[in-house]
Amino acid sequence: MRVPSSALTRALTLAAGLVLVLTACSSGGGGGDSNKGSSAGLTSCNTVGKANTCNSATTKSGGTYTYVLEKNIQQWNVQDVNGNTFENAEALEVVLPQVFVPQPDFTVALNTDLMTSATQTSTSPQTIVYKINPKASWNDGTPITADDFVYYWRTNNGKDCPPPPASDSTQTKGCLPSSTAGYDRVKSLTASDGGKTVTMVMSKPYSDWKSLFGGGYPMYPAHVAEKFSGAKAGDAAHMTATQMAQAWQYFLKTPPTKYATAGAYKMQDWTDNDHATYVPDPKWYGAKKATLQRLIFKVISDATQEPTALKNNEVQGIYPQPEVDLVNQVKDIPGITYTIGNGLTWEHFDLNLHNPVLGKYLALRQAMFTAINIKDILAKTVGQFDPSVKPLGNHNFVPGQAGYKDVVTGTGQGSGDLTKAKKHLTDAKFTGVGSALKTPDGKAVGPFNCRYTTGNQIRQSECQILQSNLASLGIKVTIKPIGAADLGTVLAGHQYDIIVFAWVAAPFPSSGAQQNWFTSGGGNYGGYSNKKADALISQAVGETDATKSAALLNQADQLMVNDAYVLPLYQKPTFFATQTRFVNMRNNSTIVGPAYNTGTWGLKK
Amino acid sequence: MLAYTVRRILVSIPVLIISTFIVFLVVINSGDPVANFATSRQPVPSKAAVTAFARHIHANEPVMERYWNWITGVLHGDFGPSVQANLNIGHDLFTRFKVTITLVAAAMILALIMAVVFGVFSAIRQYSAADYTITFFGFLFLAMPVFWFAVLLKQAGIWFNQKTGSQFLGTIGEKSPYLEVDTTWNEFTDHVGHLILPTITLALVSFASWTRYTRASMLEVLNSDYVRLARAKGLRRGKVMTRHALRTALIPLATVTALDIAIILGGAVITETIFQWHGMGEMLVQAATTLDVYRTMAWLLLSAVVVIGFNLIADLLYAVLDPRIRYD
Repeated sequence: MRVPSSALTRALTLAAGLVLVLTACSSGGGGGDSNKGSSAGLTSCNTVGKANTCNSATTKSGGTYTYVLEKNIQQWNVQDVNGNTFENAEALEVVLPQVFVPQPDFTVALNTDLMTSATQTSTSPQTIVYKINPKASWNDGTPITADDFVYYWRTNNGKDCPPPPASDSTQTKGCLPSSTAGYDRVKSLTASDGGKTVTMVMSKPYSDWKSLFGGGYPMYPAHVAEKFSGAKAGDAAHMTATQMAQAWQYFLKTPPTKYATAGAYKMQDWTDNDHATYVPDPKWYGAKKATLQRLIFKVISDATQEPTALKNNEVQGIYPQPEVDLVNQVKDIPGITYTIGNGLTWEHFDLNLHNPVLGKYLALRQAMFTAINIKDILAKTVGQFDPSVKPLGNHNFVPGQAGYKDVVTGTGQGSGDLTKAKKHLTDAKFTGVGSALKTPDGKAVGPFNCRYTTGNQIRQSECQILQSNLASLGIKVTIKPIGAADLGTVLAGHQYDIIVFAWVAAPFPSSGAQQNWFTSGGGNYGGYSNKKADALISQAVGETDATKSAALLNQADQLMVNDAYVLPLYQKPTFFATQTRFVNMRNNSTIVGPAYNTGTWGLKK
Repeated sequence: MLAYTVRRILVSIPVLIISTFIVFLVVINSGDPVANFATSRQPVPSKAAVTAFARHIHANEPVMERYWNWITGVLHGDFGPSVQANLNIGHDLFTRFKVTITLVAAAMILALIMAVVFGVFSAIRQYSAADYTITFFGFLFLAMPVFWFAVLLKQAGIWFNQKTGSQFLGTIGEKSPYLEVDTTWNEFTDHVGHLILPTITLALVSFASWTRYTRASMLEVLNSDYVRLARAKGLRRGKVMTRHALRTALIPLATVTALDIAIILGGAVITETIFQWHGMGEMLVQAATTLDVYRTMAWLLLSAVVVIGFNLIADLLYAVLDPRIRYD
């Protein structure tokens, strides 16, 4: 049956009109604020010397600031291997104290609210003297003393509170610290001055001693642990393993709303999988009082939803992993300041040395790394929203850290210099260079797979560029995605030839180097081994002089670069955006995140 | 009817067991959570920690033993260990189910009301401008991806808030973390404000198909002999429509609604993610991406029970609504 034309026209006109209304809504306009895309507050953060002070201003009382956490906090013991998450560290560092705090410029600063001083007084044996602020106390009135240090040390040294026995499938009858590094070298902790001075003597030197009792892993109240486990008050030194395991479990299961804390804020409420509410703590002993009426950490597990929440004023600060679309969305929101920083997380290509061909031929590895054009990778990926990104030249340090030295560029790796790459191969008597590469004994090289986590467009592009670069040498590369949750399986099972993923560098690099590059190290998935590098890393870990330690690490790194095992690409950008009416929050790309200084956050005066 | 219901419930038990076993096999072979644990953390966990983790999730036990322990555990209310320490799967499941059921129920009610109103109207005014408009939007919503429509709605919500200078429509979560003035009325409006956008998102997909069913069914009934007879006897048009035609026309919709619950739950996964409702959808995404075997199984078990239950309800509704159908 035919339709009367006038009815059809009216219907379509109405429909089209409604669609246009909806579409108009999606453009997101309508704000009357001319401060569109302003980044006045945070723009100076990337200026040398401003990282720790940008966006500073005097605050006034009042206001609620909601900051986004990207994961729920399932358990509250950040020192535990299962609780060692970025979100947990951020939520807890608001209320629990730590001795040294990683800063935005990648240095560490003494927490002067908690400590009067922390100094190394001797190098042999290495001795550190901690002087605690006489006013420092938990908010139930109990002073912060050496007992808190002793409790921390004994639960984290791997000996006094050992892991759960094999018969314990619940994992509750022991302590599982995320790392015992440093604590396992402590020989003694001695209290003096009524518990306000702690003298720590090391059995073996430890270069990263500033990472102890903090560095992103805050302290828990020992007196609460003692009370809960039935131990004698003020005597953490004599807690039994069972008592410590009980206390460990208590802090694991209990949000800090339930026990004494020591921060500018106290956690008033925790709604599981939704938000934490903090309010100023009237018992706070520090010099500067909190000015916000309320601080909220809101769980938003999908980063792509953060810009709309920011636009709708449901949150006031976000810290997602930047993508082109996300950055552009935030740019268009009125009254927002943002910064793209270069973080401690760095992207890299790894070769699997368990592969017989890759493991055997150094010249092949050097040629492959030389053929890869990192500048081209940057231009086609992260450079699109972060023009300042540069190739990374070190495996242990990033630019801005005191020990950073470019040990990669000089080798030509990452330059995309095909002439040099081909020379590596011809000098080593490879044949078929540029067409179908063969080893000196006539075996075909490749095809190799390049693996990346599925859905990660940037890594997919990185593999595609590598594929194109290596084709110029006559090496065929197939690109093979990894399931979202299968990265671990692929790494541990050595199910790759070439893989691209990221490492998080630490403000304390020597223990990280030991894990990732040492022969059979826990993170050395590609099977790298160089005895000279091992010896240099071991020396670095035990060196009490930070400058010498960094020099030793760089020597070891130069050996590793020459061995062409891991090619660093770039520091992954970080992205922090906040409303301009709030001040003193800034990007901190270390493990503590922007929440490292929540006590100073507030409404701009 | 009672015997039929009991028989259907008994039959569903082996269906559940077989389906969960097949899914269990698929899930435990989809990845290695222990390797994931060992490699995805920095600092890299110690061997003792990795061993303890493997023990905790029963990773080294034989498959049959794991399945048997899981299924018997479920009968005792224990849904097994999660890869996330300190997570009680049973508590998590039912907490999230309440969230999802709130959203799904609101969406179903809205979709049903709209489907009946617009479907009937469309049938009565067949080939009118209104009919074509409703048909156009029906097909538009059917063709529109949920995630895209949700994003569009969120922007519309923000635009509304900006124009009205209010914070009425929420785009994140089920409620605000705090209220400046904490009264029962404010709490209620805050809930409603957060419910509107995800409900519309989820409802429109179902509305689109249900309105087509209603229209087709209504047209069929309107052309049937008994409706013509009723009209010929002089009954008023409104009375014929509501008392005679509508009741019969709603029978297919009632059953389709019950059967569509699985589709709505599927839509809730996307809707919950976009609107950050911490419900079953988010649970499935998290469980799958962290290779959490027992958490995935808990989700699937509850979903299977819901789908089987609603299938049964659909069958029973036939008998209730249509006197010609009787179960022995």
